[in-house]
Amino acid sequence: MLRVGLLSGLALAAAPAHAFIAYVSNEKSNTVSVIDTESWAVTKTIKVGQRPRGIEFTRDGKFVMVAVGDDDTIQVIDAKTQAVVDTLPSGPDPELFTQDAAGKTLYVANENDNTVTVIDLEKRARLGDIQVGVEPEGMTVSPDGKILINTSETTNMAHFIDTASRQIVANVLVDARPRFAEFKHDASELWVSSEIGGTVSIVDPQKHEVIGKVNFEIPGLRKEAIQPVGIGMTKDDKTAFVALGPANRVAVVDTATRKVTKYLLVGQRVWHMAFTPDEKYLLTTNGVSNDVSVIDVAAQKVIKTIQVGELPWGITIAP
Amino acid sequence: MMVRTLAMAALAFAVSTVAARAADPRYPDWPCSQAKVPDISLAAVWAGPALDDAESKWKDDSKVSALVSKLAARKTPLDEAERSIKEFLGGSAADKTANAKLLFAGLFDTLNAQRSQVMSGLERVSRKQREAADKIREETIQLQALQDATPRDDAKVDAMSNQLIWETRIFEDRRKVVRFVCEVPTAIDQRLFALGRVIQQEME
Repeated sequence: MLRVGLLSGLALAAAPAHAFIAYVSNEKSNTVSVIDTESWAVTKTIKVGQRPRGIEFTRDGKFVMVAVGDDDTIQVIDAKTQAVVDTLPSGPDPELFTQDAAGKTLYVANENDNTVTVIDLEKRARLGDIQVGVEPEGMTVSPDGKILINTSETTNMAHFIDTASRQIVANVLVDARPRFAEFKHDASELWVSSEIGGTVSIVDPQKHEVIGKVNFEIPGLRKEAIQPVGIGMTKDDKTAFVALGPANRVAVVDTATRKVTKYLLVGQRVWHMAFTPDEKYLLTTNGVSNDVSVIDVAAQKVIKTIQVGELPWGITIAP
Repeated sequence: MMVRTLAMAALAFAVSTVAARAADPRYPDWPCSQAKVPDISLAAVWAGPALDDAESKWKDDSKVSALVSKLAARKTPLDEAERSIKEFLGGSAADKTANAKLLFAGLFDTLNAQRSQVMSGLERVSRKQREAADKIREETIQLQALQDATPRDDAKVDAMSNQLIWETRIFEDRRKVVRFVCEVPTAIDQRLFALGRVIQQEME
């Protein structure tokens, strides 16, 4: 019995790590870098439209969508050929987007005209617009697909939008310049980062109330340098990672106590992040040092830095 | 007249969008989209040993201070700067760590000072721009009054229009310059971090 246990442990250890493919949008060089997670090297650089920012795989892993704001569209990259094959009809200056759990509906934040464009991903057709009234910034969809969250830096609120009626149903005030929103996988909490406020607000999505806050303090670092943006939550919802911008650090947060347990030094102006599907690694984009940091999630350690294009913004990893 | 009316409309629009982003209440004059970080903290760019008295002593070492000036100048390409660091520390033998600390302390001081200067310049221009916007707005109202007046003084209308077009052009040019200069503090951050990384690698 003991031997069987040992053997299966051995087999696990010997199993080769699965290689994944990460796509990184480089806002200033107008390219997308493709990273292989086995060699941790850039295997291809794809020329895309102007000012690529929001980037995400389709849920089936076949395509990568990238918002190219200055070209007023979203480009579709075929993951097999690694070439741009199509575009999606966004509004003017799309910055980022989010999709529902099924991967059927895409919501696009258009920076310039205060609207969110709704796109049917199967037909690649525009279904309509939601007037949000304020410049949309961070966006996410609730795990059940019923609520779209839109954060706005003009109102300093997280706006709750009913995806069926396309109406705002609740507004929650958070700290200054909210940039990013992320639900826990069990939908019990919504986390919203505030770039200028320097905090993450934890919102009860049923009661629409702030029920807690994560504060950050790094010895020897100015408060202004702590600018929370991207948030990554492990599947068990126990640990959250928060990118702190020009603090050049990612905070590791225990979601039970809502306290930071560790700060990891990454590259400059860390912005967004993505987990590998096995959750062994977390990759962050560092906009000023033009690189991607690789964090070993279990060890909570930075193990690698990969140079990419200029001003890396978003990152997505094949499912 | 038609053309002029259009120009005025465009102008009013330009002036109304002086601050594209919600201003940071702590720094109302900061014109860049990236939130202001007044100075670079050592902890953000240096994971090496404590600098201790290197922070005050680097200026006394003529070799170090000469190298700092060269490396801090943005006209020195980064790869050339990296080579100079490797050369200097490679030839330092026993006092390598001490020299590395002196060199980084010098770069930290110098580049932070450069950065502060650029940032206060940006805020000064931003205040000027706000004044210019107010002036343009007021003069636009005056011009409208002149245009509607009976009898209408065409010479005055023309003079006022020309003045407004001129002021708007300056305003627009300055706005473009601000956007460009907003990238300079970031370029300095980038340089300091990259040079610090080479110094730390050489120390290992």
